[in-house]
Amino acid sequence: MTWTDEELVARSIGGDSESFNELVLRWERPIYALAYRTIGREEDARDVCQETFLRAFRALPGFRGQAKFSSWLYRIALNLCRDWIRRERRAPIVQPPEDVDVMELAAASEPSESIEDLVARKDLSRAVEKAMALLPDEQRTAIVLKEYHGLTFQEIAELLGCPLSTVKTRLYQGLTVLRRELAKGEATRTKATL
Amino acid sequence: MNHSVCTYPGDRDEALVTFLYDDRSLDGERAAFGTHLASCGVCRDELDALKAVRGQLGRWNPPEPTFAITFSDPPARQSTHQQSPIGHHQWWKAVPAWAQVAAALLFVGVSAAIANLDVRYDQQGLRVRTGWSQPREAAPGAATAVAQTPARPGAAPWKADLTALEQQLKAEMRVVRAGPATAQVQPAAVHGGDADVVRRVRALVDESEKRQQRELALRIAELLRDVNVQRQADLAKVNRALGAVENNLGVEVLKTRQQVNLMYRASQVVR
Repeated sequence: MTWTDEELVARSIGGDSESFNELVLRWERPIYALAYRTIGREEDARDVCQETFLRAFRALPGFRGQAKFSSWLYRIALNLCRDWIRRERRAPIVQPPEDVDVMELAAASEPSESIEDLVARKDLSRAVEKAMALLPDEQRTAIVLKEYHGLTFQEIAELLGCPLSTVKTRLYQGLTVLRRELAKGEATRTKATL
Repeated sequence: MNHSVCTYPGDRDEALVTFLYDDRSLDGERAAFGTHLASCGVCRDELDALKAVRGQLGRWNPPEPTFAITFSDPPARQSTHQQSPIGHHQWWKAVPAWAQVAAALLFVGVSAAIANLDVRYDQQGLRVRTGWSQPREAAPGAATAVAQTPARPGAAPWKADLTALEQQLKAEMRVVRAGPATAQVQPAAVHGGDADVVRRVRALVDESEKRQQRELALRIAELLRDVNVQRQADLAKVNRALGAVENNLGVEVLKTRQQVNLMYRASQVVR
């Protein structure tokens, strides 16, 4: 039998820790993906993900179901991401220089994929990541929530605590910047291959 | 059809985004913009461009995570003592060692008292038995032999008491067997003797229980200490071995990566 999030929450509050584990299993990937796309670093995204569930676990007895469990979880994760970004701005960590790592590429490859396709796919993914990193936090968050988590405009507005029209404006502006940056990156790549 | 100027009456950017994301909660707005799109090339072009951006965004996937989050304590209890619930097999590590030992001793002590447990550790090894599985020599037939044997000077004091008690019991039994008349002659004496016997038996049982608990607690404490020492030593060994393996592996992987990257760059240059 598949329980809904709300049922699992009720059971967890009643002392059934397995129910909370079920919620973790259900939501750890989306939360991790949200954290990764917001802060852009795998290890930190994992930490944020763990911390999100830890906080949720502790705060669960106080959860009254005013919002959906997932929205509540997203809010915790976004707050943690915001804290992380603030900390990072104060003391930025030096990133190692990026380089082509064929071992890593090979690990992610599918059997039928040629090395050219693999590099192209990796390049595009990296280009998107770089373009996303250029966006202001609020635009990036709006795009991540809409594009990758499928939240409605209303849910995003509630989550970010801003009017619906602001969410749409942020999305439009963010997508416009991405369009420009991705086109620029594509032109550079084309020039390099010629 | 106008391809250079958009004449949409409302907020065109918001309407474009609403249409792009197909948000079902805003169907009215979408329908209005849909009608506009049929006559506006600028909006159609921009919509197509943004759709393409969305297509590219879909190629960005986060790396595969490795998760190990498990929760064990119920949140209601957890909120009262703020311990980390991550890793359910670790929760008891947060309890101090002395508290764990004390809890274990208390538990075993109570169990031993209930079961009348007798633990002996001598040349024959470790022997554990409960009050319900007494050895043959404690059977009634053998009691006479024990009773007739004088207490050894080094024997525990309770043995002398036990011997005296047995003798008293036998004497009383003889009186009872001698006949009801005799028994009726001294009822007060018999009743007074019963109370005394019960009191002494209780005292003996209490003392025996305490002694057994002390012995058992001592054995368990020793056992726990030995296990802990052995565990620490094993963990240290495993850590050392793992460290050595990781070092070797890391160096090998680094070398291989460098070689492959070099070959890759060389092949790019040749191309």
